[in-house]
This record gives sequence, structure tokens and C-alpha cells, in this order.
Amino acid sequence: MSEPTAPKPADAPTPEEPTRRSAMLWITGGVGAAAAAAVGVPVVGFLAGAVRARPIDWVPIGKVTDAALFPVNETRLHIFRNPIHEEWDGDSAKTGAYIRNLGKDDKGQEQFWVFSMICAHLGCPVTWFPQSALFMCPCHGGVYYENGDRASGPPPRGLYKMPWRIKEGVLEVQAPHLPTLQDTLEKPSDVVQLGIIKRDRGERA
Amino acid sequence: MKRILKAVANTVGGWFEARLRLKESVMPILEHPIPAGAAGPKGWWYVFGSASMTLLFLQIATGIGLALVYVPSADQAYQSLEYLNYRQPFGWFLRSIHYWSGSGMVVMVVVHMTQVFLHGSYKYPRELTWIFGVCLLLLTLGMAFTGQVLRWDADAYWGVGVGASMAGRVPVAGPGIVELLIGGPTIGASTLSRFFALHVFIIPGLLLALVGGHLWLVITRGISEPPVPGQPVDPKTYDAKYHEEVKKGKPFLGDAMTKDALFSSLVVLVIVALAAIIGPKGPGGLPDPTLTGANPRPDWPFLWLFGLLSLSPAGLETFVMLAFPAVLVVCLLLVPFVSNRGERAPSRRPVAVLVVLVGGTTLAVLTYEGMTSPWSPQMGAWSGDTIPTAVVKRSTPLELQGAAVFQNKNCRNCHALEGIGGKRGPDLSSVGVRLTRDQLIDQINNGTPGGGNMPAYGKHVRPAEMDAMVAFLVSLRPEGQPPAKTAGQTTKK
Amino acid sequence: MTLAPKWVPVWLAIAFLASGCNPPGKPTLPQTSGRPEDLKDFDALYSSNCAACHGKDGTLGPAPPLNDPLFLRIVPDAELVRVITEGRAGTPMAPFDHSKGGPLTTAQVKILAAGLKTKWGTPGVMTDVPGYALAPGGNSEDGMMTFMMACASCHGENGKGGKSGEQRVGAINDPAYLALSSNQALRRYIITGRPDLGMPSYNEKTNRPHNFKTLTAQDVADLTSLLDSWRSPATK
Repeated sequence: MSEPTAPKPADAPTPEEPTRRSAMLWITGGVGAAAAAAVGVPVVGFLAGAVRARPIDWVPIGKVTDAALFPVNETRLHIFRNPIHEEWDGDSAKTGAYIRNLGKDDKGQEQFWVFSMICAHLGCPVTWFPQSALFMCPCHGGVYYENGDRASGPPPRGLYKMPWRIKEGVLEVQAPHLPTLQDTLEKPSDVVQLGIIKRDRGERA
Repeated sequence: MKRILKAVANTVGGWFEARLRLKESVMPILEHPIPAGAAGPKGWWYVFGSASMTLLFLQIATGIGLALVYVPSADQAYQSLEYLNYRQPFGWFLRSIHYWSGSGMVVMVVVHMTQVFLHGSYKYPRELTWIFGVCLLLLTLGMAFTGQVLRWDADAYWGVGVGASMAGRVPVAGPGIVELLIGGPTIGASTLSRFFALHVFIIPGLLLALVGGHLWLVITRGISEPPVPGQPVDPKTYDAKYHEEVKKGKPFLGDAMTKDALFSSLVVLVIVALAAIIGPKGPGGLPDPTLTGANPRPDWPFLWLFGLLSLSPAGLETFVMLAFPAVLVVCLLLVPFVSNRGERAPSRRPVAVLVVLVGGTTLAVLTYEGMTSPWSPQMGAWSGDTIPTAVVKRSTPLELQGAAVFQNKNCRNCHALEGIGGKRGPDLSSVGVRLTRDQLIDQINNGTPGGGNMPAYGKHVRPAEMDAMVAFLVSLRPEGQPPAKTAGQTTKK
Repeated sequence: MTLAPKWVPVWLAIAFLASGCNPPGKPTLPQTSGRPEDLKDFDALYSSNCAACHGKDGTLGPAPPLNDPLFLRIVPDAELVRVITEGRAGTPMAPFDHSKGGPLTTAQVKILAAGLKTKWGTPGVMTDVPGYALAPGGNSEDGMMTFMMACASCHGENGKGGKSGEQRVGAINDPAYLALSSNQALRRYIITGRPDLGMPSYNEKTNRPHNFKTLTAQDVADLTSLLDSWRSPATK
């Protein structure tokens, strides 16, 4: 840049030229990084917002004593709208649970089997066949016994059990997320509980 | 008159050219020289890439059209597809073209890749062109999958479910990946919005950027000359040799481009004809996850994977799901590094030809298996598939009751009679010849040992039901054939 | 563009699209909503729920034929609805109504029950036919006499099986067969026979001795008692 023939102005401190330029570069870098962070942090937070702490909602299914709803020793499909959903979900908010009333146990407490419809193999919907007492999956042919145990085919485990409770005589089922092998309904994954942002409904509940 | 028009055209054209300077920038690209061989009859091998790109533009055009009407909302997507199908003028036709053109694009990309592989065109100095191509293949498949989800019917819903279940098997991070993929704890509104963004913005953006890069590489490093046996690629001398060859070459704007244009036009015509004759795909069953009649099937580009997942042994399954596709992609990416020199002609590369033959056959067989999916129980067979009338006519009252029990216990869902019924288990049309009464009772009671393909029915078949059902099964023999006997066994009854 | 041969497909395509006619690929509005509970067509319901056991057109299935005008004349409408709803316990007839864990809605069950009569029944009421419902007062010893006269020529002595012409006739005194058959179904067979398999009804003389007389209501009750008496004590 500097030409040897050019006269040096006395008031121009030559040694400072590179300093000023590098300072300018440092400032640009710093401001640029701040701008990138200012945009980046919320964008990443937005994208990661899908993974967030889940609320625990309970869905009332019906009175335990209602024999039409819960005939003893018969498995029935119960359909409800999943509270873990958006307003514009349409039919996709519907969820099913196979519920079997096992009658009262030794302590006089009603017992139930509550299974998710989601096959433990790759997540297709299983169908209950009362005559053979089997659940069959239409995708890859997984079959389960009435107690949810794997009977045959590719599933690596039995059907997903849904947590349930009886509150004031009403059977309630815990609102299910999509169960997968490491994130079952009984034992949700810790990974997805890391989320910082709580869902509104969770706070209400 | 003609002269005036020409003068006007020249003036207007000149005005724009003075500002755009296209002759300096674009013309050299269009007229870049290509090897003489590639401009000759062998140039027909080079038409698949441009056809893929033509279909990409057709996809963009029809896709934008569809986006004008389609509602990417879980509660209305299905309705808007029905509106497109039945009410919007030409709506069904645009959907149909979009489906067939997308299918055609997958086909063209694969054919293009096969051609490049067989001709060794990926070798020096076109390794990066190949890598971009592999990424374009993956993005094209990504478009096929996300597009299937936008069809928001039962297949779409469960397709996402299967994808999520596969992702959920990733060690440790699985559940987090699932939530990122479906946009929350369940499949629904946020899932569809997310796949819409992927299908309409993210993947097309990447596709266009990579197509640009791919083309840039094609132009800067030149189109490969048709392979000649005995003329191996040597990175040390290739550039100079290619330079010499191109000096005798021809401009792309000419025969080569005409071939591309003609082939692309023909492909578009075939697509439009298929669209008009066969029509759009779906939407199929309602996106209601509680309808148990659902029988989810992936679109055809993924049938091979569906087949693979069903046929892989249980112990290997997670590997086949997660590692195998990754290994496959890495293998494709490594191709130009494993062999970036040497012979290019297929006649001198038996291994390459063998890879294509074996790979193609495997894909075709797996796709066929995926299409027929013999591993899936037929959920309606027990109440809908009839017992062959010839069997009914010759049966005793006990055997008839046995046939009814056979249907009642849902056996037909997995076992066909004379080819009708489920194909998961063996066809039982002549089971009486193969198995004795005792063997049948044992099989029904205990199922396949070790939790194999058949569940154990022991607890749910009463003695009378077993008697009748086994009598029926023993009677299932071709005329004149005696029932099966084990060695030393005396016939019962 | 010219009319050169290579442009013909283009012109054809344009003409095809411009003509406004419906290409084969154009989808037509589906007749049903796609929800299983909205399926209201008898034929569709029958073929997916009943055909497996009762036969494709209501005959020649392993279960009692439904396409049998005599049966449809005597069976009360309410009984059809009840059996489709609840099934028949102990027999292979499964319950089909949602309320009993089956796949159909109550409306669909009613469509099936009504459809059987409109599709395969003949109008009018018969008064001289023995009633469908099980009647008390059957006597198995009298039943044996009637059996020898009316049934044994094909079903063999004591129902142990025999021949009807060239056709083998299997045993009906088989404990497993009887365990899976309700008395109601046995009575119905005695009255209607199985026309699709050549078994005569209560008043048909085919394959019967020349002195055969039409079965009376008492005969039918006696025969039902006889068959019931053949059940093994364990399943009775």
C-alpha cells in the first residue's frame, strides 16, 4: 500500500494505521457476533421449543361402576380428545385406549388394564379381536395377548401401558404423548423433560 | 412487414442487451464446449439429469399452484384436498401432475445416478459433482416423504408415526429427536405445519441451491466424455487430455441441448398422460388415529424400506432401521474416493455392473414385497373372506362348525384358504396332508415355539372348538389324499 | 409449431384437456364419508361382516344360510337384531354391536337385520309352519321315533352319520358339533333344512321314506329334545 516515494505527513502516525484497521475489524466482528446472537438465540430457542416439559393431564373416561362402559373382563376401545393438543388439530387430536375392567382385586379395589393403541414396533394402530383375545397390528404383523404381552411378530416388547387412576369413582387416564421405545407412557424419557419452557396448560393443571 | 418486425425486435433486444449484457455472461455458459462424443448419438445417455431438473421445475410450478388452495392445518388439510379433487377446476389435475411428476423425479434421479455410476463419470475430477448428486437424491426422497405427509390422510398420519418410532430408537437422543420431528409430544397440527415448512421452504431451498452447485460443477469441470474401454482415467493426465478433447468438441447449445429438450418434453408428456389417465393419489382414509380399520402403507419410493423392516430379523432390526440407511449413504458418498481413477467403460468394470444388477434386483424385490406386504394380517378376513364352497359342500356338520370356529377365532387374518385371506402364515388349503391331528392341536395350543410367528391360542379355544376346528383342518386335503400320519401312528377315529 | 407428426401427441393432449371431457383419472366424489360407522349399504356391510361364515350370497357357508326364504319367514325381526347384536354364546356366532364389543353400530345391525328380509325374504306370513322359537314340551323318546322316520335315512341310526345318495353325511351326534350348536339352531335346521346342501325342510319328501309325513310342531320339539339329549353331560 504505502509507496516509498510518497511524502509522509507529519501528523499521520503510521504505526497506528494497522491498529486502527484491526480495531475496526474487531469491532465489526464483535457487533456482528452480537447481532448473530441476538437473532440466533431466540431462533434456536424457537426451534427447540418443540421439546419441552410435558404437563400431566388426566382425562376422565367414565364412572368405574358403569357396566356398559367397562364390562368386566371385556376389552373395549375408548376414544377421547387428547388434552395435549392444539385447537386446530381436528381429528388428529383423537386418541384411543384399550381398557379392560379386571374387576375388584383382593383389597376390593377396581383394577384395569389400559393399553395404548400404538404398536410398540413402529407405531401403527393395533386392533382388538375379542374372539381370539389378540391385538393385531396391520403394518408389520405384530400380535399381542389380551394382557398386552407380545404374542408374535416383530414388536420388541408388549403394548404400552397407560397410567390410570380412579378419582371420585371416575376412571381417569393420563393424557398420552406419542409413546416410543425409550419414551414410554409409564416411564417418560428424561431427555424430553429437559425443556425450559413450560406449556400453558401445564401451568394451569 | 417482416422487416419492420425484425427491426423492432432488434432495437428492443438491443436495448435490453445493452443493460443486461447476457451475451457476455450467459452465452458462454450455454455454448460451453462439450466432448464431441457427448454431442453424438451417445449423447442420449446424458438426458436424464436435465429431465430430473425439468421435473423439479414442473414440481415447483404445480406445487405453487397447489399451495394457493391447500390449507396446511391439521383440521382442514383433508377438506382442502377434497376441494382440490372435486371442486377446484383442474385441481385434481394439478394434484395428479404433482404426484406423478414427483414420482418421475425420483425415477429420473435414480436413472441418472445409475448412468453416471455405470459410465464412471463420477471419477476424477467430478467427485464433488457426484457428492452433490447424492445429496440431491436424498433431498428428492425427502420431498417424497414430506409430500406424502402433506396428503394428511391415514397413510400420512401413520407414516409420520412410523418415522417417529424409528427415530425414537436412536440411543439416548431418540425421544428428543421424535419431539423435534413431530413438533411436540403428539402427532397433530404442529407436525403438519412443520412438514409443510420442510416441503415448501426448507428442502426446496436446499434442492435449488444444490442443483445450482451441481450445474456449476458440470459447467466448470465439463461434461464427461463417453467412456471408451482402454482409456482409463489418470488424475495426472486427465485435465490435459480433456482439454484437448474439448478443443475438438461442440457447443452445448445445439444437438446436445436439443436432445435434452426433446427428452424432457417427452417425459413431461408421459407424466401428464399418467396424470390424466390414472389420476391423483388420495387423499385416502381420514386422518383419525382412532379408526382401527387403518392399513397404513408408505408411498412407493419407501416400499422397499417397508419391506426391509418387515423382513429383517428381530435382533438386527434397530440396526437395519438406523445404521443401515446411514451406511448406504456413506457408501454412496465414498464411491468417487474408492475409485477415482481407472477404467470408466462398464465393459471393463464388472464389479460396478454387478453392484447395479444386485442393488437394482434387491430394491425391486423389496419393493414388490412391500407392495404385497404378505406379513400384514388381513384385519377383515375373519368376517369377510368366505370358505371355498367346494369345501363347504363336502364337509360334515362337525367340519362346518370347525370352519366357522376357524373364522371366528380370526385364523383367516393370517392364514389363506385357496389364496384368499392373510398371507402371514402358511396357506392352509391342504394342511390336512402336512399335519396330523395331534400336530395341529399342538400348533394351535402353543403357537410357534419361542414367540415366533403364531400366537398360542391355548387359553382361548375350548375343547369342543378345538375338536371341530381340527376336524375341519384335517379335512382340508386335495381329493383322494389321505390325512397326514406320523411314523408308527395309528389313524384316530 | 406445425402439424408435423412429432407434434401430434401435443395436439392430442391439448384437445383432450380443452374438450372438458372427463379423463379416466379424474376422481369422483366418494359415496361414503370414509368413517366405518357411516357405511349404510346392506351389501357392503354383509360382505365384510357376514359373508365369511354365512356364504357370499347367503348360502354355502359353514354357518346356517341366511338366504333362505323359509327361515326368513319364520324368524322374528327382533330375533335377527338380537342375534347380530349379541351373537350366540357358546357358538361361533360373534356379537357385532359396539355395545357388545363388536365392530358395528346399532344402526348398522338394524340395516343388516332388515336387509336380510328385504333382499332374500318373501313377503307374507306363514301360519302352518312350526314356530321359530324354541318350544317346551319336547319328548326325546318320541323324538327318536320321528328321527327314524324323518332323518335316519341320511343321518344314520342315532345320527351317527350315513349317506344321502353318493354324498357322505357326517355324524350329528358328535359331542363337539352339538356343543357348538344352540338348540335354537338345531330347531331351525329341523324346520328349514339346509336347502343349499340338499337337506330337506320339515315338509319336503326328497330323500325321505314314501310314508314320510310333514313334521308337526310337536315333532319338531321332540326332535330338538332328542338332539339335546345327545349332548355330552359335560357340555350340557
